[in-house]
Amino acid sequence: MATKSRTLPLSKRGLNFEMLMWIFTRLSALAMYALILFGVIGALIMGARNQMSFADILRWGFMPNSTHVQSTNVPDLAPWSSFLWNLTATLLLLVGTAHGVHGLVVIADDYVTSPRGRLVLRFLSIVTMISISIIGAYVLWAL
Amino acid sequence: MEVTLKIFRYNPEVDQKFHYETYTLEAEETDRVLDVLERIKGQKDGTLSFRRSCAHGVCGSDALRINGRNMLACKTLVRDVGEKITVEPILGLKVIKDLIVDMEPFFDNYKKILPYFINESPLPADGKERLQSAEARARFDETTKCILCACCTTSCPSFWASDDYLGPAALVTAHRFIFDDRDEAAAERMQIISETSGLARCHTAYNCTLACPREIPITQAIGELKMVSVTGKLD
Repeated sequence: MATKSRTLPLSKRGLNFEMLMWIFTRLSALAMYALILFGVIGALIMGARNQMSFADILRWGFMPNSTHVQSTNVPDLAPWSSFLWNLTATLLLLVGTAHGVHGLVVIADDYVTSPRGRLVLRFLSIVTMISISIIGAYVLWAL
Repeated sequence: MEVTLKIFRYNPEVDQKFHYETYTLEAEETDRVLDVLERIKGQKDGTLSFRRSCAHGVCGSDALRINGRNMLACKTLVRDVGEKITVEPILGLKVIKDLIVDMEPFFDNYKKILPYFINESPLPADGKERLQSAEARARFDETTKCILCACCTTSCPSFWASDDYLGPAALVTAHRFIFDDRDEAAAERMQIISETSGLARCHTAYNCTLACPREIPITQAIGELKMVSVTGKLD
């Protein structure tokens, strides 16, 4: 007996905000891994193996900001503070903040069950997320 | 062997607060915890209340928290839990008396996912049955095994926090019908289980999978439902 293939169209999969954020959380975690790997590989290509300790390389990997290599043996800071690395750091900041704040909301939802409470919580979370993102981006680009 | 049972007791007509009572009695290591509870009720303390029905792991009435883990008392041998046994009601549901909890919130959540076969298409030409291939049946075989004992749902941290969360048992039943190729309400059910108190509240703690007395891979089933949201594939 033949089994027909069944696929639900996009509009009928229950893809609401909750589920979209569930997908975002998974994808953003993968994106962070990729960005950190990109940072570590970039640092090694720039000669970090001879100029930085392992801890400094990881610090750069998790946030490729030129201030993180100032106290190392890197002689010339110019290649470390380029547009590319500022952009990588900004992407890590934005993705990481959104991932982390949404994670907190999901956990808090286990304890705040009233619709009004959840609304307040979401509002505060969005304010927190936007504030951290703006302050972080300012530190990365303006300082 | 001599076993000591520390049992959660609460009588709303007398007690302000729950307490534990300890009973010591002789038991075989191959006795089930349910046998020992029956002996306590029959020989030592007739006021002890607990649910039981088939006593063979089919009806799911005697789900209890035994030594901190959700189990069916009728499927748990004394030798598996040791000489000192703590028996408590399952968590997250209101205690009615002693080991009996109010299962209404659990069944309310279960009803939300439309736990019945839906097919509005005309019957096949022979007017008898909607045939299904062995492969299509195997797709949801595991989730047909649920006996609604609530061991999974009441071991779930998200359910402890809020009983408006559908819970693993309801999602398992949703899986059973969504992946049934004869059923026509997959989209409707996906809509229901994707609500705020549905799929996204599963944090993959895996407690449900460990607690299930029927060994249903519950977290995997919930994961498959999450993937339906992404891919739409029901095969």
